[in-house]
Amino acid sequence: MWMVETQGLSKYYTFGSGNQVVALNDVNLTVESGEFVSIMGPSGSGKSTLLNIVGCLDKPTSGDVYIDDAKIDYGNAGSLVQLHRQTMGFVFQGFNLISTMNAMENVWYPMYFNKVPKPERKKRAEELLESVGLRDRALHLPSELSGGEQQRVAIARSLANHPRLILADEPTGNIDSRTGKMIIDLMKKLNKEQGITFIVTTHDKAMANNADRVITITDGEIVD
Amino acid sequence: MIEAFLLAMRQLQTKKVRTLLILLGISVGVAAVVGVTSLGEGIRVNAVEEIEKSHDLTLIEVSPGVSNGNIILITESKVRAVREYGSVVAPYVKDAYVTPNKTYFEVNGISAEYMDAKNLQLEAGMWLEEGTYQIVLGSDIGEKFSKIEGVEIGNAIDARIRLYGEEGRAIDKDITFMIAGRLKPTGTDTDDQAFIDMNIARELTGKDVYDGIMVKLDKSGQAPAVRTAIEKLGLTCYSAQDEIDSVNKIMNAVTLVLAFFSSISLIVGGLMIINTMIVSVYERTHEIGITKAIGASESDIIRLFLSECIIIGVLGGILGDLLGVIFSILIDTVGRPMLIAQLGIADFEHLTVINIQILAAGFLISLVISVIAGIYPAWRGAKLDPVKALRQL
Repeated sequence: MWMVETQGLSKYYTFGSGNQVVALNDVNLTVESGEFVSIMGPSGSGKSTLLNIVGCLDKPTSGDVYIDDAKIDYGNAGSLVQLHRQTMGFVFQGFNLISTMNAMENVWYPMYFNKVPKPERKKRAEELLESVGLRDRALHLPSELSGGEQQRVAIARSLANHPRLILADEPTGNIDSRTGKMIIDLMKKLNKEQGITFIVTTHDKAMANNADRVITITDGEIVD
Repeated sequence: MIEAFLLAMRQLQTKKVRTLLILLGISVGVAAVVGVTSLGEGIRVNAVEEIEKSHDLTLIEVSPGVSNGNIILITESKVRAVREYGSVVAPYVKDAYVTPNKTYFEVNGISAEYMDAKNLQLEAGMWLEEGTYQIVLGSDIGEKFSKIEGVEIGNAIDARIRLYGEEGRAIDKDITFMIAGRLKPTGTDTDDQAFIDMNIARELTGKDVYDGIMVKLDKSGQAPAVRTAIEKLGLTCYSAQDEIDSVNKIMNAVTLVLAFFSSISLIVGGLMIINTMIVSVYERTHEIGITKAIGASESDIIRLFLSECIIIGVLGGILGDLLGVIFSILIDTVGRPMLIAQLGIADFEHLTVINIQILAAGFLISLVISVIAGIYPAWRGAKLDPVKALRQL
């Protein structure tokens, strides 16, 4: 059973002048459930676009994506929202925490949209912050946390609704290598202990070395 | 939903100055509407009170009716029918007399019941005795007689009435009345009338019908039902309620027009909210992108923004009502003495009146405008492309 499968996935951007840029070209990719896949490639190679399409934030120009063997209907906003709420979590390069909310609130926010009852939300947020070692930073705003701490809060947030797939776009890109190592270890641990599938785009060799499989993308195509 | 408000509250708190300015914008508009409406309401209430003071709401004045071009006269049988409805029913006749000095005056031929019904009170002299040619004068006509005719209580006054014979020929009849008393001023048309015994009046003119009936009720609440019943007999009714109704109608129209003009400031307030919310959506583009990625639907985003607008609407409504009350008190304290001094109107208690309906309307207007103003920005936020939104910092 595939966690993620893409068939002939292509994405073109057409600019006002009529110029077309190929971001993805006929990408066929399968990711097994419980796999830790790292996607490498130079900037502009299309790895982020691939992640955004698999993550239902963007639409492909052609081709299909299957998650849990179910074809994604990109026209059905309701089903995409359900995927975001229940199946997948995101970790971004720039952390993307909400600046007006403290660490705790950032972690419970996805559960708020997923209509998790309030007491349960609070309990789970505490547990998740505990698991990323930030229990004592729960009431701090993102601006009061270091980059590594913010990314750990972001990981805790991505886990809020028990996702089976985490999509991480250069999660160590904005932090120093020592802290980056901590983040990689944390993600590996979640992958091993909870069987969460990870698709991680990266420039980081250390990240790639920890992956079950490394996929390289150049000019929108998978190289090997 | 409560949480949506708490989250919205948080957003508003992070932009205190901006929020305060929108609140002021919307509440000044509400205050203008509340203040102006309270002025309109105040004038209306004062006018109605004035009518109630000078008119008797338990009195219905019945006059002959008109139906299909025929005049329905007040005959004995009609009077009998009307007697069923009022506690005091006083039929009377009315004629115009003239003195040798060409002072025209209206003379009502009345019974003792009439005095009760109209609550007539003597200022000087005595009430007329039935079956005599005695006359009681209203306060104004009494003064006129004393000035022009030089007659006082106890004097005789000559008067002539013009009647028309069967062939339409004018027949003048001269009578001498004895002035028995003078009434207290009432501020109504009674002051210009004179009163004689009804039987004498009918004898003089040969009338076998009445010119009107005064119907006095126990309670003013009975008036509408009694009125309807009398009107079914084909007769015409008049009561002070007619004047109150027309004052209400006019003042409602005036207040509506005033409120409409002052609500222009509300449109400005609404535009301020639209503008601020669009800026807010633009500033929070990145945040909206994150929110969508972690599972917010379009309706969730709309709810977040509209919650902010509802809070603005509620706070703006409360603040607007408060400012409106202050505005209204200001109009009252400044405007009232000025009006009294300039127009010399009798003193009245308040120029403006605030009631719960005005406050509720002010509150609702603020809420509705805030929510309507928030719809477009919220929709724009909900429709943001998450990829583009996330890219923007």
